[in-house]
Amino acid sequence: MHIPDGFLNTATVVATGVVSVGGVANAVRIANKKLGEKHIPMMGILAAFIFAAQMLNFPVAGGTSGHVIGAALVAILLGPWAAVIIMSVVLFAQCLIFQDGGLLALGANIFNMGIVAGFGAYYIYRIMGSLLGDSSRSKLVAGFIAAWASVLLASIACAIELAISGTSPLLVVLPAMAGVHALIGIGEGLVTVAVVSVVLSTRADLLKLNRI
Amino acid sequence: MKHSFLDRYSDRDSVIHRLDPRGKLVVTLAFIVAVVLTPFSSWLAYGLYFAVIAVLIALSRLPVSHFLKRSLVIIPFVLLMAVFIPFFKEGEVAGSYNLWLWQVSVTHSGLQVLWNIMAKAWLSILSLILLTSTASFTGILKGLEQLRMPKVIVMIMSFMYRYIFLLTDEVLRMKQARDSRNFGGGRKLWQIGTVGNMIGTLFIRSYERGERVYASMVARGFDGHSRTLERLCFSRRDALFIAVLGTALISIGLFNLIS
Repeated sequence: MHIPDGFLNTATVVATGVVSVGGVANAVRIANKKLGEKHIPMMGILAAFIFAAQMLNFPVAGGTSGHVIGAALVAILLGPWAAVIIMSVVLFAQCLIFQDGGLLALGANIFNMGIVAGFGAYYIYRIMGSLLGDSSRSKLVAGFIAAWASVLLASIACAIELAISGTSPLLVVLPAMAGVHALIGIGEGLVTVAVVSVVLSTRADLLKLNRI
Repeated sequence: MKHSFLDRYSDRDSVIHRLDPRGKLVVTLAFIVAVVLTPFSSWLAYGLYFAVIAVLIALSRLPVSHFLKRSLVIIPFVLLMAVFIPFFKEGEVAGSYNLWLWQVSVTHSGLQVLWNIMAKAWLSILSLILLTSTASFTGILKGLEQLRMPKVIVMIMSFMYRYIFLLTDEVLRMKQARDSRNFGGGRKLWQIGTVGNMIGTLFIRSYERGERVYASMVARGFDGHSRTLERLCFSRRDALFIAVLGTALISIGLFNLIS
């Protein structure tokens, strides 16, 4: 889902860039105010964890492969603004180190996989949590659905950006992207559930951290 | 593990390696902007951009195979995103094929768009490979900090960079432990559980490492700043580099406008 350079038109690059810069700036402001320097090493290590997890590709039907995004996990543990910061850092590093995703398209990629996926996952998790109750089983179900939906939402945002840029028509790119990512989302959901269940059984206090 | 797989060759020495990372960052960004803004069908401009990159690669004295290998890793993903384009652009039909139930046709304008996008993507990818192979990651971070990137982001990135290696080692150890306990046999469901537990355990371990590292940093006087002895200095050579590349990019752009 990492959009390379050359796929988006100028208007989309500028619009998503402005939204993402604003989002990251706000996230940094909130993090500075509420977290302080205590969380910086922790967030760095979480970013490294997401970065490492993204390097593991798993096969999806039809010869394609996918990897986890990780925004849902961070959003569930630390909140949506933390997800925006960590995903921006990971995406920027991937762009520089692996050339995965373009430098000018970074705004769009941060918007899709940081802002849309992070906030989508966080609010779906909250809503599902209030619907399902407070048991650990319901936390896992809510985590799975939130993670799956975050991938789907991000891929829909990506498809819309490609369509607006005139790269491919919406009627083609939307079902293609959403279809593939509905499958990839299952992987994301399983990984998220695995981590949340280990966290629940060994360090349940981590699910009660200060979220931003 | 090999610790140079991220910014490989960045510790070598050449004219390009010695330049200030800030200058290289700015020039890379300018190059990508210029490439992305290049209109369709200006073959010559793409050729000229390619020549610019080729000259820089030659000056950096890095093996060309490194650039090809790195490109080959990422180009398939780019192609996967672009592969539908020639089939759905309207225009003069270049060829049509019967695929079982579908009548598929490729248009000239579609092929042109595909070619264009691939050229843009590849040129941008090459310039980014050049940047990360000639500047160390810590150098780039230092440059970004001085180019007014928020401090929190730069700090998180530098922590991430340090811990990627530790985490990768951790993953390799866990895999070895799993394999030596006869992973592969047994029921499928059990295997999924094992992988899930591995990822969960990795997360807890990295998190607890983060807590320990923070405690020990505070004990040593960490106050939210990281101080290094390395100083970046912007010399005449860097100014010259930016001037030459800037002139080249602007003249290619002007040339495009005229023709």
